Amino acid sequence: MVLELQKPRPIWQIMFSTHHTDVGLLYTITSIAFFFMGGALALGIRAELFLPGTQIISDSMTFNRMFTVHGTAMIFLFLLPFASGVGNYFVPIMVRYKDMAYPKLNAVAFWMIPPAGALIWLGFADFTWYATPPYSAIRAPGPAADMWIFAQKILGVSSVLGAINFIVTILKCKHPDLPLSKVPLLAWSFLSASLIIIVAVPTFAAALVMLLTDRLGVSGFFDPAKGGDPIAYQHLFWFTFHPEVYVLVIPAIGMMYEIIPRFSRKPIFSQSSGIFAFVMLSIVSFSSWAHHMYATGMSFTEKTVFMIGTLAAVPASGMHVFNFIATMWGGRIKFATPMMWAVGGIALFFSAGAGGVANAAMPFDFITHDSYWVVGHFHLFVMGTIAFGSIGFLYYMFPYITGRMYNETWGKIHFIMSFAGTVMVFFTQHVLGLYGMPRRVYDYQPYPEYIVMNQIASVGAMIIGVSMVIWLINMIYSAGKGKEANMDDPWGLGGKYYFPYQAKNPHH
Amino acid sequence: MSGHSNWPEWIYVGVIIVLLAYVGAEAWNVERLVEHVPAEAEVIKVIGQQWFWTFEHADGTKEVGELHVKKGHAYKFEITTKDVNHAFNIHDYVVLQDAVAGRVNEVWFAPDKAGEFPIQCREYCGLLHYNMRGTLIVEE
Amino acid sequence: MDKTIALMLVLTILVVLPTVQLVFAAGTDAHEYVNRKIEIWNLFFKMMTIAFTVGAVVSGTLIWLVWRFRESNPNAKPTKYEGTDW
Ligand code: HEM
Ligand SMILES: [Cu+2]
Ligand SMILES: [Cu+2]
Repeated sequence: MVLELQKPRPIWQIMFSTHHTDVGLLYTITSIAFFFMGGALALGIRAELFLPGTQIISDSMTFNRMFTVHGTAMIFLFLLPFASGVGNYFVPIMVRYKDMAYPKLNAVAFWMIPPAGALIWLGFADFTWYATPPYSAIRAPGPAADMWIFAQKILGVSSVLGAINFIVTILKCKHPDLPLSKVPLLAWSFLSASLIIIVAVPTFAAALVMLLTDRLGVSGFFDPAKGGDPIAYQHLFWFTFHPEVYVLVIPAIGMMYEIIPRFSRKPIFSQSSGIFAFVMLSIVSFSSWAHHMYATGMSFTEKTVFMIGTLAAVPASGMHVFNFIATMWGGRIKFATPMMWAVGGIALFFSAGAGGVANAAMPFDFITHDSYWVVGHFHLFVMGTIAFGSIGFLYYMFPYITGRMYNETWGKIHFIMSFAGTVMVFFTQHVLGLYGMPRRVYDYQPYPEYIVMNQIASVGAMIIGVSMVIWLINMIYSAGKGKEANMDDPWGLGGKYYFPYQAKNPHH
Repeated sequence: MSGHSNWPEWIYVGVIIVLLAYVGAEAWNVERLVEHVPAEAEVIKVIGQQWFWTFEHADGTKEVGELHVKKGHAYKFEITTKDVNHAFNIHDYVVLQDAVAGRVNEVWFAPDKAGEFPIQCREYCGLLHYNMRGTLIVEE
Repeated sequence: MDKTIALMLVLTILVVLPTVQLVFAAGTDAHEYVNRKIEIWNLFFKMMTIAFTVGAVVSGTLIWLVWRFRESNPNAKPTKYEGTDW
């Protein structure tokens, strides 16, 4: 597992390697780089909204491009690749196999990400990460829009290839002595998420092709004047991307399942309920996609069906929370940095879920749809739960990757600042939405309530920004100069807790 | 697993399901109430385009950017768009419905307070989306 | 287990029946218009009552857990798994 950065290898040896830990490292570093780039855009957006009127961004088009690329980059270039990085490190070891099932395919899936990232960042499209027609088909300026479409196409293929690899590795390459029911929950989370990807991604892949030909003017799939229907796009889009939110959150929950028992010095309360909840989530993730479309003119019956489908996902999510709490109960918990991120993530996961139940209630949509409420709500997931789980997990992996320890004090400061900032930004945004502020706006009316709340949110964002810089410095400095980790037990939890990770798969 | 009993978890899941059933039933009921359009509601055609709103009353009069209605009357909006999607929103009256190309979407309301209320676009529609605003004027 | 199921049944009935009643009782008085603003915001406040109650229980539990089972708590004692191969 240890990469032995103390004995450096030339960079090209890592880049051209197909070994799972090397590919995992590439995924991890790439995703963190995009996280910082996307974060910089978020800070730009928040700075612009600090006051009504024009602040630092001179025109609304630039602003629209910024939130589009921020959203796209955070989801597709940070969260997804980060999860793949973790999966690459841990899944083969957890199923006791020498590598991923198809190492070359694995490297190919990774190497599709940098070109896609370049297309997104160099194009800088403006049609939001939904790319909804008719706007995306007839008005969105090219070549940015077309570059975005190609990038999504590439990312979709990469995602499916990665998913196939995880599924085969877990189901086919797992050690014969290891029954599936004993496979650790982190690996189970990758199995569930990968199954969702395989079923969900193709519809968006189809929609992208149709969108492109519509843009070229050779078809009218989404153009009513040519007999098409723009609502069809939204169904294809959300059939992929509602399940996709579970693709993002499930591995993050898996990471918490790894951290929480370790630092509580106790096994997971119930492995079987964890597995059950993962499988449930991957099934019901497909029953709710049109809850994003209540306002498009759906009938009462349709709305009811999708409300019930949405509520159906809640018990399984609740089971995970129960499992975490029951695992910590009666433990002897060490609050090292990874544990703090995991527990903070659980608290925010609950808030996000409660907001989700409210969103599912169809009449409430008349208040919140496409308002800042929604932005606050989904950031409690993407930032509060998924990014928190991921950041905690990177702290957790740090000694295994580098052989050194990060600075614990700065790690804790990073957590406390980020937690406070996240609460400030995203809880405030819920209230802004209740006051009626639309999302995706470059400017707002100078109502005193709007101004105050936007300022709280902007200050919170800057606090997060500063804490992330602290993190970056901590990581870079500690990777080279940190004190050497005790590889048998980096956090002093009592030797034998780490036995699964003593395993080392030789490079080939 | 590993020998312990799981009954607290089942009770917990049961409580969640009961709460969800309650929220679902309430939401269903409220939706049913607010979707029922009164028969005498007057039709107002709402047309969205980049980046302003046009309103057409039942008697054929047109307004741009401003909408005059009377307190205590019921109105049914028939919402369309000339170009890309928009969303017609009067937040103070909890009126919100997308303007979707190729469709006519409906939503109704009966204003109960006189005054001026902002109208805005809630669905991203390009360059000046943030500024696609109007005013609802409710007269006594 | 049987008891749990019985309990759930009772609870479900307690919730579902009044709601059904409410649904069929409403809408008879045709003259006043339904005020969508009031209906929808009421729904919101009901949901928030539930959310904040449950939230208080969940976060209260979480905070208590963190306080009680941290290793620096004077009452903390080693778990039975420590030092074993679990
Ligand atoms: C430092 C933390 C963050 C801040 C302050 C922040 C802030 C923002 C802001 C202000 C918007 C624009 C909202 C709008 O106008 O509709 C936005 C949009 C968005 N953010 Fe973040 N964000 C953060 C982290 C993240 C993370 C970690 C993710 C995902 C992994 C993410 C995903 C998104 C998405 C998908 C959008 C929607 C873009 C769109 O409207 O097309 N954000 N964010
Ligand atoms: Cu969804
Ligand atoms: Cu708009």
